[in-house]
Amino acid sequence: MSLTRLFYALALIFFAFVLEHIPLPPIIDWFQPAWVLLVVTVLVLIMPGIAGMWLCVPLGLLLDVEYSSPLGLNVMLLAVYIGMLQLLYRRLYLFNILQQAATIFMLVLAVQILRYWAMVALIGDPRPVMLLTPALTTALMWPWVYAVGYMVLQRIR
Amino acid sequence: MMWLDHNYSVLKPVRYAIGYVLVPPQKVSLIPQSMIYWLGDSASSRDTLQKQNDQLRSRNFILENKVQRLAALEVENMELRKLLSASTKVQDDVLITSVTAVDPDPYTQQIIIDKGGSDGVFVGQPVLDAHGLLGQVIDVLPFSARVLMIADNNHAIPVQVNRNGVRAVAVGTGSLSQLDLIYVPNTADIKVGDTLISSGLGGRYPAGYPVAEVTRVENIPGESYATIHAKPTAHLDRSRHLLLVFTHDAGRVPPVELWQDKS
Repeated sequence: MSLTRLFYALALIFFAFVLEHIPLPPIIDWFQPAWVLLVVTVLVLIMPGIAGMWLCVPLGLLLDVEYSSPLGLNVMLLAVYIGMLQLLYRRLYLFNILQQAATIFMLVLAVQILRYWAMVALIGDPRPVMLLTPALTTALMWPWVYAVGYMVLQRIR
Repeated sequence: MMWLDHNYSVLKPVRYAIGYVLVPPQKVSLIPQSMIYWLGDSASSRDTLQKQNDQLRSRNFILENKVQRLAALEVENMELRKLLSASTKVQDDVLITSVTAVDPDPYTQQIIIDKGGSDGVFVGQPVLDAHGLLGQVIDVLPFSARVLMIADNNHAIPVQVNRNGVRAVAVGTGSLSQLDLIYVPNTADIKVGDTLISSGLGGRYPAGYPVAEVTRVENIPGESYATIHAKPTAHLDRSRHLLLVFTHDAGRVPPVELWQDKS
């Protein structure tokens, strides 16, 4: 792997965190995509030899601090997400872009449900979690993010 | 790890250290907002600025007049407190901060401010705006902090009616324009228009700051408690500049084992 490719991968992660933090009007809050999950998906699909399960620890901890959630919650969720991505890797790679978006919708939905269960089971916090809208907008953003990720990472060798 | 972080403070230094890594993306994410504010300020016409200046001058004049009276009252209050051998501290130290982001989760009412641990901000610190109490700090990172607003449905604040001192607990409803007063007997003397101020009970908030104004009182025959709604005096959805209060007793809470649910 070239250093340039690593630099671009880090830049993608950086911008995912910028977009996670960016202030938005209240009405759009409901539709904010899971930017970090999108970038993780791109990295796992395009750089499977390097981007793997280990990503869940640094990125999960950063997300936990970003959203003030208990340390480890997003590590666990990212581990589950990356695990499912690796299981579906061959299929995802052969799917067309719409099938990929549909798969990502299901994966993000599963992560959101797990988040809710984890909060209730471990912390006893029954606060509602947005289930459908982030999954839907993440799936809708997938073609664009994949195009950018492909352009940035796949073409640089 | 999650359980440990939720129940004990051993992982707080880890969280604080990770906060340093998040500073660059957080700073970059605020560039569009700063540019919009800058463009808005630059686009103001000379007439608008002149009008604004005149308004601020007249407001400043009125406030100066009030402060003059306040200074005399403060001295009188201190003298009376001395007679009672009570604390002479009347004015709190404050730090001005700006809102940098609002938590994107619509089920919580939290905001992010641009002051953090490096400025002495601490968990439990009360936050005010120009109109009243806004909330308290719940998480501190090196250069930012997370504030839980009084309207969050996980928040409650002990208040009292300014007119007669009747005490109550104001809980958030999740709506930025409404607080509910709970466990208030039907016979309590609370009327529409009453100002609710912080009572200082519980030790988290300093006493005497305006919290809300009563908007609706409903006494249902047969029910044990009255239904009372109030509107927060702080502009929860509009204020850009806030004050962090460094009160002598602010943020001091009883030990966790005394108040945490043991079930």
